[in-house]
Amino acid sequence: MAHETHASTNPPGLPAELGAPAFVDGWKSRALTVGVVFTVIAAGLAAADHSTEHVLRAWLLGTVLSFGFSVGGLALLMVQYCSGGKWGLLLRRPLEAMSRTLPLVFVYWLVVAFSMKRLYLWAQVDDVAGALKSGFINAAQAHAIEFKRPMLNPTAFVVTSVVCFAIWGFYTWRLNALGLERDADVAGNTPYWIKKLENISGPGIVVYSLTMTAAVIYWVMSLDPTWYSSVYGLLFLVGQGYMVLAFGIIVAISLSKGEPFKTILRQTEQHDLGKFTFAFVMLNIYLAFGQFLIIWSGNLPEEIPWYLDRIRGHWGIIITLDFLFHWLIPFTMLLSRDIKRNKKRLVRVCQWMVFARAFDLFWLIEPNFKDAARNLHFSWGILEYAAVPVAMISFWVAFFCTRLKTRPLVQTNDPHVAEILEPEHVHA
Amino acid sequence: MPPREGTYGLLAEFDTPGDLIRAARQARQDGWRRMDCYTPYPVEEAAEAIGFHRNKVPLLTLVGGLMGLAAMFLLETWISVVAFPLNIGGRPTYSWPAFIIPAYEWTILWAGLSAAFGMMALNGLPELYHPLFNAPNFRNGATTDKFFLCLEALDPKFDLVETKKYLKNFQPLSVVEVEY
Repeated sequence: MAHETHASTNPPGLPAELGAPAFVDGWKSRALTVGVVFTVIAAGLAAADHSTEHVLRAWLLGTVLSFGFSVGGLALLMVQYCSGGKWGLLLRRPLEAMSRTLPLVFVYWLVVAFSMKRLYLWAQVDDVAGALKSGFINAAQAHAIEFKRPMLNPTAFVVTSVVCFAIWGFYTWRLNALGLERDADVAGNTPYWIKKLENISGPGIVVYSLTMTAAVIYWVMSLDPTWYSSVYGLLFLVGQGYMVLAFGIIVAISLSKGEPFKTILRQTEQHDLGKFTFAFVMLNIYLAFGQFLIIWSGNLPEEIPWYLDRIRGHWGIIITLDFLFHWLIPFTMLLSRDIKRNKKRLVRVCQWMVFARAFDLFWLIEPNFKDAARNLHFSWGILEYAAVPVAMISFWVAFFCTRLKTRPLVQTNDPHVAEILEPEHVHA
Repeated sequence: MPPREGTYGLLAEFDTPGDLIRAARQARQDGWRRMDCYTPYPVEEAAEAIGFHRNKVPLLTLVGGLMGLAAMFLLETWISVVAFPLNIGGRPTYSWPAFIIPAYEWTILWAGLSAAFGMMALNGLPELYHPLFNAPNFRNGATTDKFFLCLEALDPKFDLVETKKYLKNFQPLSVVEVEY
């Protein structure tokens, strides 16, 4: 559908002002306040615990979470360029803003890299035979650390991660720069831009899945050097889709209190996004349960301890809650058409999903450590998981708000703009 | 039951869905209740315009799905624990993780069948005869490019002459009387 618009004026029907509304500054200051408060709480907990051990573990969780929002946002940005659709136009600028938070994620990751020796068993143990003799590690761990040394060593960890960051940075820069160039161009060139962004995004999605898999294997899976799962990268990929869509819906609906989202967010696309999120809820439990069923059926001594670490010693409570939080609650809620079409309720469900994702990461990360495996117990330290990631995500949200303010919230040079401005059920 | 005779209703034909919606909204506002819209493709606003109310298909689907889930899970439990206990890899006979997939499949199967047959049961399909097919313009237009509003004779407001005038106000392409 071609429509005649001059490049410098907005298409008819769009509000004159397309920048982020002023209340985004309010979000930013609120996020900063929450961030500071939770930083203080985290410091207090660390003092009560006489240790920063859990601060680091919780920091890793916060890093993986903000990584999911940032690089997951980039991935969904590429997906919508390839798939098209009005929902993509709606979320395009929020997703771009999410992808441009990558520098903050890199800063978060630097802390992980510098405290590698305190987080990762394979980085702690230089002398495997000695550590085995002293009882610091068991035979399985000694074998795994020895065997995987070419991959699991500090140099490889840093090089792989930096290369991944460079690749994500390249795609972020490229897509964001072209997005603005496209708006500056005349409407007649739209087909060229659609093709061009598609051609970058298509291979980009493949590159993203490979680099993201490498990153989560290094950052999370290698916390337990003995265990491996071939579906691990995919699990995180789906998890990122899950949380990015949830966050995108929260942002879109919250922005709709003011222009321009008040005009462009229609119930139809909100409903579509809800359905899309529902698909990720299903895919997520499908993969998580599939991995569990295969390992449970095999019942092999190489694989099953990973699950036993996460089920025995009261961890059964956490995995049950994880199932309820992560799947059953979003699933039953999103099943309802009314909830998907109700702004307030859909936002509540999406907020819950972001929390559930963090809860799932807690279950993935904490039992990797010797003191916590098969032994869920209270310490002041474990409460860091409720403090550090909240602070980190709050700072991330504040940064995201500044990114959101840097460009108009609607891409004007797109055929979907005319469609999204039509009243709903236009044929009616 | 003796065959019904007389007038089924008056059928107004429109060129665009917009005209149909406007007419249907106005008719409902003016107190018409026994009426229906016919379109070649789903027009959600048409349903709203004539006061569409919720039906029981979602509930039937949910109940069907839960029944499928319970049925298969109990069947597997009964087979593995009571009827034919087997030692499989040293696992307990009640190994619920292995029961999940068939139970899940049956949830979907039963939910799908309940939705399909529930829909049929509630909307009266399959229906072999409908008076509207007596209108030649309906036969051609309702599945291609025309939009119809039918005010039915069962409505207490119905009057052959007055209603015809009333429908003409909406400037339809035509208003035809439909016989049973």
